[in-house]
Amino acid sequence: MHARLSPFILVSASKCIGCRVCELACSAAHQRGGVSVGSLQVPLSPRLYLTSVNNVRVPIGCRHCEDAPCAEVCPNNAIIHTTDGVQVEEDRCVGCKTCLAVCPVGAMEMAQVWKRGKPAMRRVVDPSAPGGVRYEPASLASKCDLCRGREGGPACVDACPEKALTLVDPIEVKRRRNFEAALALSRTYEEV
Amino acid sequence: MSTQVVSIDPMLCTGCRRCADVCPVDAIVGRRNEPQTIDASRCVLCGQCVLTCAAFMSPFDDGAELLPEMLRKRGLAEDDTAPLFAANFRIDRKKVAGMLADPEKTTMVQCAPAVRVSIAEEFGKAPGTLSPGKLAASLRRLGFDYVYDTIFAADVTVMEESSELLQRMETGGTLPMFTSCCPGWVRHVETAWPDLIPHLSSCKSPQQMAGALFKSYGADQVGKTAGEIASVAVMPCTAKKGEAERPEMQNDGFANVDAVLTVTELAAMLKEKDIDLDSLPEEEFDAPLGIYSGAGTIFGASGGVMEAALRTAIAVTSGKDVDESGVAFVESEEEPGVFRASVEVAGKTVRGVIVSGLAHVAPVLEAVRSGDADFEFVEVMCCEGGCVAGGGQPKLLPGVDVADAVARRRKGLHDHDRELPVRAAHRNPAVKALYENFLQKPLGERSHKLLHTHYGKEAGRHE
Repeated sequence: MHARLSPFILVSASKCIGCRVCELACSAAHQRGGVSVGSLQVPLSPRLYLTSVNNVRVPIGCRHCEDAPCAEVCPNNAIIHTTDGVQVEEDRCVGCKTCLAVCPVGAMEMAQVWKRGKPAMRRVVDPSAPGGVRYEPASLASKCDLCRGREGGPACVDACPEKALTLVDPIEVKRRRNFEAALALSRTYEEV
Repeated sequence: MSTQVVSIDPMLCTGCRRCADVCPVDAIVGRRNEPQTIDASRCVLCGQCVLTCAAFMSPFDDGAELLPEMLRKRGLAEDDTAPLFAANFRIDRKKVAGMLADPEKTTMVQCAPAVRVSIAEEFGKAPGTLSPGKLAASLRRLGFDYVYDTIFAADVTVMEESSELLQRMETGGTLPMFTSCCPGWVRHVETAWPDLIPHLSSCKSPQQMAGALFKSYGADQVGKTAGEIASVAVMPCTAKKGEAERPEMQNDGFANVDAVLTVTELAAMLKEKDIDLDSLPEEEFDAPLGIYSGAGTIFGASGGVMEAALRTAIAVTSGKDVDESGVAFVESEEEPGVFRASVEVAGKTVRGVIVSGLAHVAPVLEAVRSGDADFEFVEVMCCEGGCVAGGGQPKLLPGVDVADAVARRRKGLHDHDRELPVRAAHRNPAVKALYENFLQKPLGERSHKLLHTHYGKEAGRHE
């Protein structure tokens, strides 16, 4: 994968049938479990989102922007550029939602975090609660990580029954377009 | 039936119609991108749509706040973390939990052959992992008083069904005879081919035979009456829920089977009680209704009913006991999913046909209807590969090779068959004792009352 521009997952609206297999595969790829839905240990939490408008159904997810607004605005440096695209460092996230507000495609979510089969809790100061604090499930920034570390690449691309999802290497696409354009020109030249 | 066994939740269905691709009877109705409905007059309750559906309620969906209510309507606890999918089957966990908690009831549970090669998948194991001993132990931990086995009843089915076939051949009865162990298949005959109903064997399915025996012979064994027994079945199948509720599936006013759990429901109940299948010891099923042979074991893989029947038919008619029939059924290129062979039994040629998957059955039935059938015995399994591929089996995640998983589960059953000391139904000592002490003989008076029925009355009914 070329490191200069981050890869991202491109969806073909004409191929997508809205089945949500990508979301299921995504959820399963980000947790422990075996081969069946029942073997998954925590609730499903997809990192791309089937979205319907008119007759179009497409999953929307992170574009791994080069000048990523989410990374720009994060007050705690929890979102960083890596050779694997734009990544959230969960441990640094405070759940401020600024990233969610600025993302141009709505790729960011605030998702519950599960540790050892139980939701991770956060401590909230609440004068009305006994002891002045209460605990509630922590919601932290969550988005596509291109299945970093997964053999075989992003699970959604693998799983789509319609092959509507592609992992795009922008530089490779550009090179191919250059080549196709040059080829077309060479044919024109021969004809002339 | 109280509620529809298989349904599609319009709140969750996106109209992708992947379920329509796997429905063997074209029962999924609807336009693309709109919620689908199930044509109850065609649906055979096989649950293949449930296995395929990926349209789940995401925590980020509009309406996610309705989740507790949706869980409740599905028969689940409001804090259950299991994902809800559009295509779903009725959950009967509460009903079974109620029976287990009822001090007035003696609970007897049976589990189908295909359950022991799939339930470990719900606990992180590879497809086809064989775990009969841990399965028995888990049911005991859950609180069932008697842990019996559907395979025992499958062995009884072999005795009854092979006797029925020989009787039909000798007395000029309706031939070819169709197996009747698969409720999806039986329902398909009733709804789509009603003129062929007389071809169905009068045998109840192993699930129903087991239930009928629990509340008669089994109740006698433990000093109880039929009314004191709660009869529960664990099945790889959603259609078994419908079968158990058929009005003819009862004796003396008591339903043979009071509740049916799928493999996924049982796994969820075990997890709810923090029972980890993998860490349990290997235990035995209870005697006598939990003692089984290799013949009944392979009922869970298509072709298994045929093979099991042949082992007994060859032995009984020739006096030569065989572990395997040695008959190889061959699939032709023109007829995928249809396997044929012929075998000599008692000086007569019996020509058998095995149909694996309801989608492949039509040409075979056309031949029967037109009088061109050149065979005497037909085994049909609704789900391709047999019960190992049933709609109550673990729902495999995207990216998991379904055909490979089904093949591994089939191999698990065949491996189990080979390792069992008794591999033919008529040599099962508990089956012998059942006939000596209770039934007297196959097709006898008690068998007729408890183990046989008349199909067809339910035709066209669904809910």
